[in-house]
Amino acid sequence: MENTNMSPSSPLPSIVAPTAPDSAIPARDGPMQAAAANSPSGPDTQAAAPKKLSGAELKKLKQAEKAAKRAAKKSEATPPPIQQPGEQPGKQKRQLQPQQEHGGSKSAGQASSLKISAKSTQASRRASVSAPAPAAPPSGPKKRVGLFGHLYGNARRHTIENAPKEVHPSVLALGLQMSSYEVCGSTARCVGMLQAFKSVIKSYTTPQGTSLARHLTAHHLSPQIEFLKACRPISISMGNSIRFLKDQIIKIDPSVPEPIAKRTLVAAIDTFLHERISAADTVIAQAASARILPGETILTFAKSSLVLKTLLAAHNAGTSFNVIVLDSKPLFEGRRMAKDLAAAGIPTQYMPISAASHAVAEANRIFLGAHAMMANGRLFSRVGTAIVAMHAHEHDVPVIVCCQSVKFTDRVALDSIVGNEVAPADELLGYIGGGPAREQLLKTWTETPGLQVLNILYDVTPAEYVKLVVTEYGSLPPSSVPAVLRILETAQLGM
Amino acid sequence: MSTETPAEQILTPEAVDDSSFDVVETYRNLLAMDPDLTMPVAAIESLVLGLAAHPTTTISETLDLLRDLSQRLAESTPNPISLSAGTDLFQRYLIMSLRPGNVPLASKKGTKKLPATDDFTTIRAHLLKHGRSFVANAKAARARIASFGRNLMKEGCTVLTTGGSRVVAALLREAAEGGVRFRVVYVLPPPRPGRPQSEGLDLVKDLRERGVPVATVSEGAVGYSLAGGVGGGKVDMVIVGAEGVVENGGIISRLGTCQIGMLAKAAHRPFYVVAESHKFVRMFPLSQGDLGIEQRIVDFRTDEPNPWDMTPDPVDFTSPEYISGIITEAGILTPSAVSEELIKIWF
Repeated sequence: MENTNMSPSSPLPSIVAPTAPDSAIPARDGPMQAAAANSPSGPDTQAAAPKKLSGAELKKLKQAEKAAKRAAKKSEATPPPIQQPGEQPGKQKRQLQPQQEHGGSKSAGQASSLKISAKSTQASRRASVSAPAPAAPPSGPKKRVGLFGHLYGNARRHTIENAPKEVHPSVLALGLQMSSYEVCGSTARCVGMLQAFKSVIKSYTTPQGTSLARHLTAHHLSPQIEFLKACRPISISMGNSIRFLKDQIIKIDPSVPEPIAKRTLVAAIDTFLHERISAADTVIAQAASARILPGETILTFAKSSLVLKTLLAAHNAGTSFNVIVLDSKPLFEGRRMAKDLAAAGIPTQYMPISAASHAVAEANRIFLGAHAMMANGRLFSRVGTAIVAMHAHEHDVPVIVCCQSVKFTDRVALDSIVGNEVAPADELLGYIGGGPAREQLLKTWTETPGLQVLNILYDVTPAEYVKLVVTEYGSLPPSSVPAVLRILETAQLGM
Repeated sequence: MSTETPAEQILTPEAVDDSSFDVVETYRNLLAMDPDLTMPVAAIESLVLGLAAHPTTTISETLDLLRDLSQRLAESTPNPISLSAGTDLFQRYLIMSLRPGNVPLASKKGTKKLPATDDFTTIRAHLLKHGRSFVANAKAARARIASFGRNLMKEGCTVLTTGGSRVVAALLREAAEGGVRFRVVYVLPPPRPGRPQSEGLDLVKDLRERGVPVATVSEGAVGYSLAGGVGGGKVDMVIVGAEGVVENGGIISRLGTCQIGMLAKAAHRPFYVVAESHKFVRMFPLSQGDLGIEQRIVDFRTDEPNPWDMTPDPVDFTSPEYISGIITEAGILTPSAVSEELIKIWF
């Protein structure tokens, strides 16, 4: 699925052939930067050669080099004009991003056009959770943090420009909301996607000569999913829901009239939303809120809709407790959490995650949300979660994870490196409390050699830091994630 | 079995006077009659008898009745954890057997499949009949545990134990009879008001009669016995019983078990729990305060001495991280396998 990202209408990759930038960059950089470590031509041979070569040979070499330079200049001269039309109409933001993400140690001047094209090699590398690591990291001087090189993919799509014509307007809107974090959080994104797919199905008509079961998934749903993926890598819950929907579609008998088939699908989505998300939320919130005892201090990190529901359920049940909300850059999701909790009348403190060690020591229980529960019991969640859980483990404060079974996956995670999502690095650099001067400090990071900025969105919390996972199937230790997966599998087979 | 006779009598529906059946009374009688009977099994047996005593004709009526009886049983005792393991399991067993083609795990041994019929009276008769075999199975479990557990006891080893667990007693007797030479460090809690004789004194006497050297120590000497080096370090392993095994693999047991677990972990000695699988409870305590029962163990005061006898049979929660293995009739489980077993029963 990841590899189909290079759809013909996607603006960036189609402009330059994947191999072009790699050959172009060294040739051009060679003369300017003596012996750039990873440029295979020019400088390297030049630096090693002189001692052994005679004058004539040296002359020959120089001539050859000049010819190469000329050739390079020519080849360089051609691509930009083609690229410009592709790039210009794009909003400023988009032009900015690739530069920041991929700008090498080269000067910014050359960067914009060439570096964008360089990404085409990476087109298929769009990071999704636990995507298998590609064989070799990309070469070439890029502003990428080495270990996480495989996670950089295309820059996020922030416009609907050049979107495939099949993409439904509601999916277009949702995609943009996702890429700008308007719709953020595993549950919200999953619900949003399924709602959008409902309108997709409603407005779908099966072309002549094919059946809905055969055509809908491959030809109509895929472009929608690809568009969403281009806006932001999809979450585990979204992947699970897509799998469910595809299952439903394939099960439809070709003889069933289209209106009925469509109605069945929409109803199936509604049932799914109800059973796996809204009803599950209620059950979990009920079960988890019973864990809060009067007078306790509950700590939570960032924002989870489920943790919010749990805390509100406990509050509505008449339990009096305090909440500490820890939050971190760059999304500051915890602010919404703190605001909602305070609005409900729960005494709430808001702290940066740097205060974790102090805050955890004061807490009686930690409630965390999840992006996904991995099959080895590890918790995949917003970056920073592992720090909180580690402190909690250290202070012997129980960590409770609230997670619907739709977020369970049979994949395992051993570290936060293999599967993760790298967000645009500049999101990390915006807004610094110390005033505009300090905010400007790293503005030029793309041009500072040796400086890299990494903005990953998730981390993996070891299973032993998690005491309890509350799901709609009951309360389990993290080691029982596979048991839940088995239940889900048998439930699906029985359906 | 001594309890066989009254049950058979009541099982004939004609002999039953509906109003005269008192589930709590039955439960207490069963426990008093058979000293080998554990609380969950007694609870299950009382439910079976209760079911026989009340002529129900529909499934939902039956389930309501069972819920009501379980509720009454739970309310009759200050610590219903162990008891509720039995009542929960039986209710679950019933629901599972009412589902056609579905035979629950607990009934696999010795129980025939439910007859495929819609006639509820047939189903009811079947349940009553096999409810009994359920109880018999539960009792047979102890012997199996003893045979599993004695394989863990190496020749010449020293075992530390505590409490009055019947399973531990069965295991140690089995080992002694099987010719394993071992020694026992028996931790005896001080006699409390209302319980003048320490639990376990009978077993100590019994073991000594069988030629097993037993050292009785106070609760304060556990660390000393477990510690390495000259003088200490005599204990190779800890074996304790449990009142209930909870979902995360931890146990609820006599007050004092938790600290033994902590000390054993610190001294790197294996800590085994012996428990029948009908003691698996569907609860998930995170800490001592989560047990859902009222215990006044830590009671801060400025005025008078602590009334430490407030709770007659205090229990504590031993976290799964201290437990090396749980020996059940289904085999030796790691703590994390407990929730798997529970899920198998419940889903």
